[in-house]
Amino acid sequence: MHMTSIGIRVLVIFCIFVGLSGCNQEQRSAESRYSLLQTTNPDPAIMESQDLKKSNIGAKVKEEVLSLEEVYDVAIVKGKQDILVAYKVKHLQRFRMKKIEGRITKLLEKNHPKENFTVSSDYKIFLEAVELKEYMDEPDYSEAKAEKKLQHIIKLKNELT
Amino acid sequence: MGKTKKTPEQKSYQKLEKKHELKRPVGMNCLKAFLVGGLICTIGQVLTYFYIYYFNFTEATAGNPTVATLIFFAMLLTGFGVYDHIGQFAGAGSAVPVTGFGNAVISASIEHRSEGFVLGVGGNMFKLAGTVVLFGVFAAFVVALIRTLLSMWGVI
Amino acid sequence: MLKGKQSWVFPKRPAIVSTGVTGGPFEAKGKLAEDFDILHEDLTMGKQSFEKAHCLLLEEAIEIAIEKGEAKKEDIQFMIAGDLINQITPSSFAARKMEIPYFGIFGACSTSMEGLALASFIINYGGAKKVVTAASSHNAAVEKQFRYPTEYGGQKPPTAQWTVTGAGAAVVTENSGQKGLPVTTSATIGKVIDMGLSDPFNMGGAMAPAAADTILAHFNDMDLDPSYYDLIVTGDLGKIGQETTYELLKNAGLALEREAFKDCGLMIYKEDQPVQSGGSGAGCSATVVYGHLINEMKRGTYKKILMVATGALLSPLSFQQKETIPCVAHAVAIEIQD
Repeated sequence: MHMTSIGIRVLVIFCIFVGLSGCNQEQRSAESRYSLLQTTNPDPAIMESQDLKKSNIGAKVKEEVLSLEEVYDVAIVKGKQDILVAYKVKHLQRFRMKKIEGRITKLLEKNHPKENFTVSSDYKIFLEAVELKEYMDEPDYSEAKAEKKLQHIIKLKNELT
Repeated sequence: MGKTKKTPEQKSYQKLEKKHELKRPVGMNCLKAFLVGGLICTIGQVLTYFYIYYFNFTEATAGNPTVATLIFFAMLLTGFGVYDHIGQFAGAGSAVPVTGFGNAVISASIEHRSEGFVLGVGGNMFKLAGTVVLFGVFAAFVVALIRTLLSMWGVI
Repeated sequence: MLKGKQSWVFPKRPAIVSTGVTGGPFEAKGKLAEDFDILHEDLTMGKQSFEKAHCLLLEEAIEIAIEKGEAKKEDIQFMIAGDLINQITPSSFAARKMEIPYFGIFGACSTSMEGLALASFIINYGGAKKVVTAASSHNAAVEKQFRYPTEYGGQKPPTAQWTVTGAGAAVVTENSGQKGLPVTTSATIGKVIDMGLSDPFNMGGAMAPAAADTILAHFNDMDLDPSYYDLIVTGDLGKIGQETTYELLKNAGLALEREAFKDCGLMIYKEDQPVQSGGSGAGCSATVVYGHLINEMKRGTYKKILMVATGALLSPLSFQQKETIPCVAHAVAIEIQD
């Protein structure tokens, strides 16, 4: 086998790969784009129709989750009935991910027994939560749309492999 | 089967032969395997992020398209005759990741194409990888059984 | 004529009048590329399967040998050929095309010398006027049968050897007295020896005792000193097997000159070709002897050589059943007629 011909073949494969990855460039805002790699700690996103008193719950939940020392980044979205809690765990604690998830769920359910929590450490859920929050900050993004997206994220979270 | 006791003559010859035998460079092989295996896994991780980022896959579900993509590239590399060179260089580094499994299936399919699709490709595709499938499934079954029993008895 | 325990002497000195050697792309990059008559650029050689390519290699080698011997197929009484594939189909299929009465032989990688010894014997005792003998192997076809698929990325240990893609054929005839032709003078048929090695990736180590045994038997039977030969060549022992054979012979009191003891498996490829311990296969000794060595003899580099082809008599089934590898070696002495 010629080394040059191997080189050409590898190049062809590389080009296919780059070509494949190139065709799905979707524009995202800076914050959500880097939220996969950086700590973002966005403010809790609350849908407007909730009364003000209740809206405080977002900050509270955030504080509670961040109080766990394994967790370093939290994004929260409060919908009509659901509260989505997406968080990131310190890398070396990822082995205990299941336990941490259990602890957070327990803690939140104990402190806010009336709320309906969806807890996830999945990067994708985090990414989507940050993105949703950014959409919601835009004035022309309707609440119905936001709720739809939230339900979509929750559905995604519950998807099995 | 043919495992009879060695005669003294055979023993002394084997001792003499061992002297001339070229040893596998185990340390170097491990290092190469680590680097190449690590590289393949890094590519896998990049692919996982790619699917999470641009498609509707979560960390849990992104594994499937990642594996499919890696096997697709292993197929191209095998067909172009590159993977066996990588294998000779990297050893376990390219055999243990899923690309190695793909290579085992694909190389057998290519090889036995000459005997037709049914008896050739169909019959020989899992010639090498069949063992992995069988014992993989069996090992998973045993582990699941132990776990079920332990949790039934309340140990875990 | 039998001499000693297991050797034949050929008093009529049958002549190797012509040879034909074909090879594949990997051999084209080897050290002895110039000594091949045909070198194919592609491993499939335009055929649908490696087995068909294997067959083509052999057919071409035989055709070239016959053509160079200024003969026709019809002039050849017998064809003696063998290879490594199941039921030696490539050789038999080539015989189907050649339409020459045919002996199929199997001696694994020792087939070349087994064939030459038998051909010489037949010629010497008037069993035929012209006999063609050939041995061949095809890397991908043999790997497919004995090891893994060609494109499988398994790591081969440094003791492994690379199966030669190639065929070598020789036309052996009665001696017409022509000077400068290589002739066969004696042959020693080896016995099967098993030293209990079972690693199919270390054939050289398994075959070394058989080679040493046959070489010792040859010098005993013929009552010769090793210095009689300009060169003693083994078939495909590779690095490990050759070193081991050398030591075995030394321990048995047969001191060879290190420079005059070579191995076809080490001669055929360049140092930088990734063949681990060296070349192997039935085509290895056949292409090197009928190509390079005969050419060198005609050029006058060597006058007398002893060619010892070694074969590992295993099958894919036998080593999976944990059987050890029995080995055999056959030697033929080739001299240039003065």
